[in-house]
Amino acid sequence: MKEKPMVKIFIDEKLVEAEEGKTILQAAEAAGIAIPHLCYHDAFEPRGTCRLCLVEIEGIPKLELSCSTTVKEGMKVRTQTDRVREARKGVLEFLLAEHPMDCPICDKAGECKLQDYYEEYGLFESSFAESKTRREKKRDIGKNLIHDQERCILCARCVRFMDEITRTSELGIFERGHECVVDVYDGMLIGNNYSGNLAELCPVGAITDKDFRFKTRTWFLDKGKSVCPLCSRGCNISIEHHKGFARFSLPKRVYRVRSEYNPQINSYWICDKGRYEYSYLDKNRQTTIHAVKNGQPVPMDWEQALDHCATEIKKLIYKNKTSRIAVVLHSWLSNEELFLAKKIFLDDLQAKHIYFSDLPSEEGDDFLLTSERSPNRKGALELGFDVKPFALKNVEDTIDILIVFGAFLIENFNPADIREALTHIPVKILITPQESELNPLMDLVIPSAHIAEKEGSLTNTDGIVQKFSPALVPPGSCHSELEFLSGLGKGIEENFSFYKRLSSGDAVRKKMAEDILFFREKE
Amino acid sequence: MSEKYLSRNFGVTDSHKIEVYLKGNGYSAVRNALKIKPENIIEEIKKAGLRGRGGAGFPAGVKWGFVPKKTDKPKYLCVNADEGEPGTVKDRYIMTHNPHQLFEGIIIASYAVGINTAFIYIRGEYENIAQRLEEALDEARAEGFLGKNIQGSGFNLDVYVHRGAGAYICGEETALLESLEGKRGNPRLKPPFPASVGLFNCPTVINNVETLANVPVIINVGADAFQKTGQKGDGGTRIFGVSGMVKKPGVYELPVGTTLRDIIFKHAGGMKGSRRLKAVIPGGMSAPVLTADEIDVPMDFESLMEKKSMLGSAGIIVIDQETSMVDVLKVVTKFYAHESCGQCTPCRIGNAWIYRIVKRVAAREAGKRDLDTICRLANNMLGKTLCPLGDAAAMPILAIMKKFRTEIESHLEQ
Repeated sequence: MKEKPMVKIFIDEKLVEAEEGKTILQAAEAAGIAIPHLCYHDAFEPRGTCRLCLVEIEGIPKLELSCSTTVKEGMKVRTQTDRVREARKGVLEFLLAEHPMDCPICDKAGECKLQDYYEEYGLFESSFAESKTRREKKRDIGKNLIHDQERCILCARCVRFMDEITRTSELGIFERGHECVVDVYDGMLIGNNYSGNLAELCPVGAITDKDFRFKTRTWFLDKGKSVCPLCSRGCNISIEHHKGFARFSLPKRVYRVRSEYNPQINSYWICDKGRYEYSYLDKNRQTTIHAVKNGQPVPMDWEQALDHCATEIKKLIYKNKTSRIAVVLHSWLSNEELFLAKKIFLDDLQAKHIYFSDLPSEEGDDFLLTSERSPNRKGALELGFDVKPFALKNVEDTIDILIVFGAFLIENFNPADIREALTHIPVKILITPQESELNPLMDLVIPSAHIAEKEGSLTNTDGIVQKFSPALVPPGSCHSELEFLSGLGKGIEENFSFYKRLSSGDAVRKKMAEDILFFREKE
Repeated sequence: MSEKYLSRNFGVTDSHKIEVYLKGNGYSAVRNALKIKPENIIEEIKKAGLRGRGGAGFPAGVKWGFVPKKTDKPKYLCVNADEGEPGTVKDRYIMTHNPHQLFEGIIIASYAVGINTAFIYIRGEYENIAQRLEEALDEARAEGFLGKNIQGSGFNLDVYVHRGAGAYICGEETALLESLEGKRGNPRLKPPFPASVGLFNCPTVINNVETLANVPVIINVGADAFQKTGQKGDGGTRIFGVSGMVKKPGVYELPVGTTLRDIIFKHAGGMKGSRRLKAVIPGGMSAPVLTADEIDVPMDFESLMEKKSMLGSAGIIVIDQETSMVDVLKVVTKFYAHESCGQCTPCRIGNAWIYRIVKRVAAREAGKRDLDTICRLANNMLGKTLCPLGDAAAMPILAIMKKFRTEIESHLEQ
């Protein structure tokens, strides 16, 4: 791609270089100079209607929009003169005149641009002596969203999102002048799979998320970046969670999932599936070790459970029967975990039965959501796995140890059939983050972590390898499969020093890159 | 005495019919123009000093020159017939009595710029005029002045009439384009300007009805004579629409530069009965008000600018001593609050807020501080809105507040 020539401009006397064609606002933001704006969003063409981003340009008598004026060589821009600050104050005064000021009950409070800008440029006493216009405060505009027409500042980001991104055009601006309202067209509700982005896109608290409304305050939330595991797109997300309070704990940790900008994959957006289906992180979690011997529960900690697994495998090594180990993997495991599983079970133990059990495919859409319901199938293929499904029938007699990762078997087979098949297998180990009907059928259940709780990398449907770090701490006795596998490798003792080196995601990734060209190229 | 370029046949029986128009040497300008090189026509229009009659007064020839000569896209002409400026009725008279002169202008302008499709965007309320235009277009087509190969020149042009739906803002040229495209009539962000990205993203010329009706005049009388009729750089005549407390309200075609005093007292017959002049809005409601002792101003763009007002659409509203400036202010502010499109913050909220204060002023439920607030808010709109409507509202409000503050204050004290 041909690089565009650079242009030198001065913003508040600071020399800033920007690509030709960029706007003053873009150049300023890139240089760390904030210019307030509400209607402008990087994903859309400038609209120039909020009038908050006006700046002074030397040689031009009127204030100019920084969101739509492109940079020109030698341009001298001022963003903090009295005139500019007064203009901003004037716009804020207009916006706040009719604003309901219900910040104490507004979900946006704490992350509201109008609030932030008022702190910075406003701080005036209201001279609005009229009574504020009442408008609808709880308009249901779709399955996930409520629109408060009083809080709305008519930036039209939502309207433009529906027109330009989803191209479904459910929203419009109705009436004229002071009567203007954003609303859905007659008989329409926002039902597309990207509706949740509107609540994130709204710079004020006009569009709120039904899922998040009145649940908590934004300032209690900690944010952690992660990769969405619910399909193979690998959208970047931020998991927003609550630590709870000193005097009482909360029934859950995660309060919402939001998108993280990634121009290569998901831009500013995520789908509603990725946004709203996060309850698995807190609900029905397997957090304790469940071990049964002769029908009786046995107390065990994580290290002991790991030891137990290693011991059972070693027994087969002595009998030279490791081919009778069956492993069921899944594509929610990271590249690193799958790599270790391959090393241990395929290369070292030469187990005959390596299967995959994933969630069945569902319909995708033509934007972000793919039909695969697991994030790392591409990674498994690149690692050289034959991603064949577990065949329940006629295998049980050839299996001495069954090690199952994840509880997806339940999604693919009838529980009665699983129960029947499992009765023939002497050692049954399950490593899973979730409770399921499968768990009581196993004699050892080791709780594991979700992608949001661990480090590693995933290979998305287009072959993009993305590293991720823990956004949450794994609950109870949950440990990542990476810890389990590298511990198991060490515990089997045959290759102790090899696995001792592979106890972190980075170390495994380095080894993986040495061994496999695909990952070497992605480094 | 003075030239009647546009209103010569106002009042002539069936003046809108093509046979009457042709008898008066009609369409001779088109016949002649089609033999001239397009670029020479543009030069002639520039030389004539024809400034836009819609309000902004931009030189028409210069505007035409902005359209790219070489483009793969079609070019369009949009005739702004959305005459909505309060106090303005000139285009209505031209289209009612003299539609073929407008068509001549459309044909010549299209030929000069290389346009084959023109739209007349006419305000919705002018329903019967739209009908008359359609009939007149049929006549022009039948006579070979529109359609394919006009008068054997090889030049093709189609003209369509499009009715608006009753929004003042659609007289703003880019809102007009949006409306014509079938969208909500919101003004566009400029740049790009319509000359390069206009109707359906194609290069577009937008001219007012009166501007175009002057084009055949320039071809007929020549740029010099046209220029000399008016002022330097502001040639020709204007159709002044005089309304208010005068003896003879009506439209008067007079040379650019005629003084406001002459228009009111000589042509419109002076004040009605015993009424005394208090103030004049000289160029449609957006033009800042002049006081009775400011009316010796020549009615041209430059002279009115010096008076911090504007010639605008030349709609003159005469206000007498018995009319309360509070009422004037109320009418003005109500209009802009109602007509703001609502997309940009200062205009949407500013106008509605000011109108609500003015209503309290009118009801004597306000104090002097409220008057200061009106001025402060108007100043916060001025020069800070997306389209000229914000200024069009702020300027007359500020002028009334400045020139008639004492009257408004004494109203509050009564």
